[in-house]
Amino acid sequence: MSRRPRRSLAMLTLALGAVAAGLVRGEVFQEPDAFVAEVFGSKPAPKVLWLTEDLQAQAAAILGHPPAQLRQRYWSDARKSVWILEEIGKEEFITAGFVVVDGRIDHVRVLVYRESRGQEVRFPSFLKQFKEAKLAPGDRLDREIDGIAGATLSVAAMERMARLSLFFDRTGRK
Amino acid sequence: MKNSTLALALVAASVTTPAFGQASVEDKLQILQQEIDDLKTQARRAAPPTQQPAAPYSPDYGSPLGRSLGLGSGGTNITGYGEVGYSKFRQSGNATADLQRFVFGFNHRFDERLTFHSEIEIEHAIVSKDDQGEAEIEQAWLNYKLSDAASVKGGLFLIPLGILNETHEPPTYYGVMRNQVETRIIPTTWRELGAGVHGVVAEGLRYDLGITTNFDSGKLDDPTTGIRSGHQEGQLANARNLAAYGALNYRRPGLLVGGGVFTGNTGQNGVSNSVLQGVSARLTLWDVHAQYRVAGLDLQALYAAGTLGDADKVNAAILAAAPTSADAFAAPKTLKGGYVQAAYHVYKLGNFDVAPFVRYERIDIKQQEDPANGQLQDPNNSERIKTIGVNFWVHPQVVLKAGIQRYKTDKSQDRFDLGLGFMF
Repeated sequence: MSRRPRRSLAMLTLALGAVAAGLVRGEVFQEPDAFVAEVFGSKPAPKVLWLTEDLQAQAAAILGHPPAQLRQRYWSDARKSVWILEEIGKEEFITAGFVVVDGRIDHVRVLVYRESRGQEVRFPSFLKQFKEAKLAPGDRLDREIDGIAGATLSVAAMERMARLSLFFDRTGRK
Repeated sequence: MKNSTLALALVAASVTTPAFGQASVEDKLQILQQEIDDLKTQARRAAPPTQQPAAPYSPDYGSPLGRSLGLGSGGTNITGYGEVGYSKFRQSGNATADLQRFVFGFNHRFDERLTFHSEIEIEHAIVSKDDQGEAEIEQAWLNYKLSDAASVKGGLFLIPLGILNETHEPPTYYGVMRNQVETRIIPTTWRELGAGVHGVVAEGLRYDLGITTNFDSGKLDDPTTGIRSGHQEGQLANARNLAAYGALNYRRPGLLVGGGVFTGNTGQNGVSNSVLQGVSARLTLWDVHAQYRVAGLDLQALYAAGTLGDADKVNAAILAAAPTSADAFAAPKTLKGGYVQAAYHVYKLGNFDVAPFVRYERIDIKQQEDPANGQLQDPNNSERIKTIGVNFWVHPQVVLKAGIQRYKTDKSQDRFDLGLGFMF
């Protein structure tokens, strides 16, 4: 066998190996139901936050666009609340779960990531930056979130959702 | 079926909820919602397993925005970016203002795994026989996502070399002008037709592998841009010789370290220049790069290099194709260049973000000289460029830029630049 076909074969084998490795893993990292159940031990009944005109205006200021939903479903107990939110990164929605405890983010998980690039936002090294984050004046986070090269818009979408979850938590407890 | 269930739920809720008469409208809606949720849960429990939806996640949590716009599943969306620049040249005193590029992309999701991505670019505002503008397809590729760890793609796509080639939207880089290393050594925006595999295999480690079309040495017509003028851009590309590429990039918050290589023959069996029949003219380009962001400081460095084999034969081809011997130029033989860049975010308030920066670039393109035929080294191919400027983001996706550039060799390029860039 000449060198060229051998190289091509090796490359193809490597590619197929990578594809096979991919098939073993799922695309959806965690189903929202499972995330909620994990947080509470069992899945409590959902609650609904109705987005009145005033709330919609405040949510729009956080998101940079009006929220299309009229209601936001969430789960909560005396101290914590769970919010499953979605925002577009560059082209596609990112679905993420936010757990808020006593007005601070306890943890965040990317549940479904649909973009072809920027998956790095789902890793703990990025998500741990949100731990203990709370809302500062102007409904901004009280800290800087370090970005990821090549994932600028996904990072921005995660920040917006984090702010919205804290805002919703504060509103839901009034 | 779904509508009738909902109607049933509404009726049931209005009949069976005792407190409904005294509740406020908001309370009523909440009670109705609870009733609907209960009915949905009951319906799910009652349905036989074979009727459970195959979707991997519950559509209950799908975004209303997404559903209303048809995005997220089975929809088409539009993206775009562009930049406007003003340059005043120091030596001549001349100035130009230009809509450098406007790019719009159509992206379509066929199903949960299969997507289409595209970018259509118009450069310099007008495209006609008498103008300098160009209309081109920058990307048009399909991606089949098996998982986060493996996607397969095919079509016209960007080669993963350098930092700028894949991420080139104006708000993502410093300076009105793209850096020269990633213009003349890595010919950004560089795309090829082909197929590849990519994915993230460990926390933050992304790989890219693929086989694509390659440059055609027989098409070289510009001595100042290295191999760039031999690119084929997916237009009736001579594909006798293909190329292979590979790249590894490790990303963590604030950190990027990576590199890539692209290699293959460019003779294309002399289809565009018969002198190159049977000539390999192997091109190999590679790069390493790093980016580090900490406490408002933004550091970036890149080194790129390459070689073109059989440069003497490519020289002969250039000479044969030149209308006169005075038009002949020397083929690029080795290419190397690098830059270091530092920026500091001095002011951040809301969406406003101001970051002055400095950049130093060095480019060395060695040509295959043949003095007997007048094919000589172009002195402008050994260049040092200093840039000092500022980016002012008025929104994370909209940036105003200003900068001064000083060239060591080609002083006619010394300039003051202003720019406006956006992406969506």
